[in-house]
Amino acid sequence: MRKKIIERTGVIRDYDLHSGSVRFWYAAIYVLCAIMAVFAVFPLVWVVLAGFKDLKEFMSSTSIMPKNFSPAQFVKTWSQLGLAKNYLNSFISVAGSVVCALLFNGLLGYGLAILKPRGYGVVKKMIMFSLLVPATISIVPLFMNIQRLGMGNSFWPLWLSYGANAMYVVLFIQFFESLPKSMIEASRIDGCSALQTFFRIVMPLSKPICAVITIFAINASWSDFLLPYLVLRGGSKQTVMVRLFVFSTEQTVNADTMMRSVVFSMIPPIILFVLFQKQLTQNNVSAGIKG
Amino acid sequence: MRRIRKHSDDNAKLMKDLRSWLIMLPGLILMAFFVWEPLLESIRMSLFKTENVELVEFIGLKNFISVIGKANFTQALINTFAYTFWSLVIGFLLPVILAMLIGETARGKGIFRTAAYLPNMLPGLAVIILWSAFFSGGKTGVLNILLGNLGIPTQTYLTKANLVIPIIITIATWKGAGATALIYMAGMAGVNTELYEAAAIDGAGVWKRVRHILIPAIKKLAGTMLILQIISVFQIMYEPMVLTKGGPDNASLSLMQLMWQYAFGGSMDYGKASAVAVIVTAILLLMTAIYSYFNRKESDWD
Repeated sequence: MRKKIIERTGVIRDYDLHSGSVRFWYAAIYVLCAIMAVFAVFPLVWVVLAGFKDLKEFMSSTSIMPKNFSPAQFVKTWSQLGLAKNYLNSFISVAGSVVCALLFNGLLGYGLAILKPRGYGVVKKMIMFSLLVPATISIVPLFMNIQRLGMGNSFWPLWLSYGANAMYVVLFIQFFESLPKSMIEASRIDGCSALQTFFRIVMPLSKPICAVITIFAINASWSDFLLPYLVLRGGSKQTVMVRLFVFSTEQTVNADTMMRSVVFSMIPPIILFVLFQKQLTQNNVSAGIKG
Repeated sequence: MRRIRKHSDDNAKLMKDLRSWLIMLPGLILMAFFVWEPLLESIRMSLFKTENVELVEFIGLKNFISVIGKANFTQALINTFAYTFWSLVIGFLLPVILAMLIGETARGKGIFRTAAYLPNMLPGLAVIILWSAFFSGGKTGVLNILLGNLGIPTQTYLTKANLVIPIIITIATWKGAGATALIYMAGMAGVNTELYEAAAIDGAGVWKRVRHILIPAIKKLAGTMLILQIISVFQIMYEPMVLTKGGPDNASLSLMQLMWQYAFGGSMDYGKASAVAVIVTAILLLMTAIYSYFNRKESDWD
């Protein structure tokens, strides 16, 4: 009789909705979800609106809406601060980080999940332990090591740091362990070396997890600023986030320019989110990592 | 005969193992350089007097004594626990509730999920700067504008010592709660809906089904999320650094921020910074150990 368009997966079942009080609470749930959605999105809408205001309006207006929607202020900030250069730096930093994240963590995960040479268990335990220790905690000696090797003002330490991510290694291990053993064995019998098997069989079969790690590495390296600040500060390779961090700690720009810089820093992650929102919000694996 | 064959098998296996280790080597070197060595180096450095990047002299626990003896350490320690406390008050149950609410919706579920997750994608630094405009004290502060519409007079927020930590936690919760809710939703999706149907036939109302089926199903996940949340809040650093510089009067100074100040705040005292890092690591590991002890006990009991 009833057309069931959308499947209900929650505690409340269709027949519960015959009861008036359940119907009331069900409506309340929708209201609360709508409030949550507004609460999540409003600050973003606000910061874009604020970006249209010049300094005078930003400091004096008590209205959320700007007086006009001319993009002139954004254009001015973009060219005044020379953000194009920082954008380019950020993209370079992100690209290298993604390559390192996939290659090095992938190879390590391959060794620990499939090759399993004698003694691999110790490394696996060390990786699991590394998950518990926050990365920023050893930023001081890490920075000193980078200084000693003369890698200051270079993208290399930032790129390579993404090749040492315990979380990504664990994700690779979990995925690789679920791959059909027969295909890997078949490729070995066909005469592929372990390394060839990785590039020709294992990685092509692992596109879903590679996609997840790519998205997260893009987002993480775009948003990263502590190590990038220490490594790149003062130089010509500063990323968007490093600039933003310098603005915020040294207060060298006006409040309105600051808000526009915030908008500029959010554009790539939002584009990434729009493109991949399905993968991001409906994939258990990706939901498991928080940015 | 058998022995010889075994021997050559061993050799082949040894070569195979060597090749496997060779494949893992680049990743291992990077893990060592970026994660493991710095962690051990922290411990070593905390025992030395440092000058720039040089370790000058072994001084035992003097860095620790000097760091702990200062008033800002006690303050930072108390603050860090206050951050943890407030994050549990404000941010622990909220994702569970969000997950339950979104989980019940049928139409529009995708939109709610998307909206909930969006803040998590935004760069943390940008989020903090954005919210600083919300909480700014004057009449142009966004919160003041919004509250002004309700007739509430202009307030200051970030200069009040008792408000500043809850505010920072609120911002962190705004960013992270939706993504955490999606993790809970994944856990809740593991419940077979036939269980609800069966319980309903037995006369269990909606609330009873939530209490006896849904909540038990996510209990274990909630325990894991709890320890993850504590670990992540305990290392809070850039949020107060950017928003309040640790103020007013060190009221929002965190332990990790203290570490950063020692190292990069002008004095370049890497030895003392490492001492703080070692203390934070020790507290984190202790908390993780306590958690896994209780977790083991609980699963034995189950």
